[in-house]
Amino acid sequence: MLRRIDDPAIAAAANMARDEALLLGDSTALRLYGWSPHSVSLGYFQPLADFADLAEAIPVVRRLTGGGAIFHGDELTYALALPASALPPDVEASYALIHDAIVDALKSIGVKSLRLQHGSAQSPRAKSRWCFFEAGRHDIVDREGRKLVGSAQRRVRTARGPRVLHHGSIVIRRPPMTPFVAAIEDQAPAFCEATLRECLAQRLAAALGMEMRPDALTSAEDQMAAILRRDRYDRDAHTAMR
Amino acid sequence: MRPNDRSYLKSHEWCKIDGTVATIGISDFAVSHLSDLVFLDLPNKGSNVTAGESFGEIESVKAVSDIYSPVSGEVIEVNKDLPDNLEWLSQDAFAKAWMIKVRFTGKSADLLDGKTYDAHCAAEG
Repeated sequence: MLRRIDDPAIAAAANMARDEALLLGDSTALRLYGWSPHSVSLGYFQPLADFADLAEAIPVVRRLTGGGAIFHGDELTYALALPASALPPDVEASYALIHDAIVDALKSIGVKSLRLQHGSAQSPRAKSRWCFFEAGRHDIVDREGRKLVGSAQRRVRTARGPRVLHHGSIVIRRPPMTPFVAAIEDQAPAFCEATLRECLAQRLAAALGMEMRPDALTSAEDQMAAILRRDRYDRDAHTAMR
Repeated sequence: MRPNDRSYLKSHEWCKIDGTVATIGISDFAVSHLSDLVFLDLPNKGSNVTAGESFGEIESVKAVSDIYSPVSGEVIEVNKDLPDNLEWLSQDAFAKAWMIKVRFTGKSADLLDGKTYDAHCAAEG
């Protein structure tokens, strides 16, 4: 059973804490959300010093996942937390399964995109500090080859076995800070976010071979998220750990 | 057949015991499933690790994974050159790409021998 958890746009630290609480749980969950205020998330290994030029007013959070930084403006973010056994064991194969479902969901709202099947893997040592600057293998791009969805995974082993967090950002409107990205507004300016959420959830559930049900964080998950936010994602020391 | 002179965790770390010192790394199976390694973070010499808990992190093509310790004890040596030479993991996961050496005080109860670990890998695909 795939739990579908619809959240509104909330603070960066709360988002990261809620994703991690789901990762540390034992269910298969898809959380859909946005960011308010708009924020920057750093890849797990990125040095904060590389972002000294950011305006102080922009919140910065360190993600649990790797890759490059993302400016989270008007976007729909998804977090899929699940047992590793629900995905192909190979990381690249797991990307293919999830991203093909997302390409399909985008198509259903009139946005043409494709998953790159060739090219190099991207890394934080790549040309840019920004995730969206350059597309690599398995990335979802628009017809012009610009990245439309930025995504990353974290793999952990909990007492309940190996688990995966796969999360990604689908750009709705192009942020001025990262003008090189593709955006849904390019192809479907009048799209409905509720429809995109529905299509995403349906396609991902189908790709995983699961039934889907609307849900919310349990009180235990809420408590775990509050602790993670207080002790990790709201702490400057965590953001500045590299 | 993977080396039978050491033990393995299901999470794909290996551990070779020599007296009171355990040399720890990750297996060729882990490396092949991660592919395109980018970053490796290892603990400092003098720090302590705990059996079954994470002692490091590795970033591959768009996935960060924890590395778990097969033993508990103090880190007495770190392969400092490995993070800058991650290709060693693909070339020689069981020797040149060792990660840490630990003066151990206890071992995980979940260690597998080479043959059992081979079967585990085959089942995981």
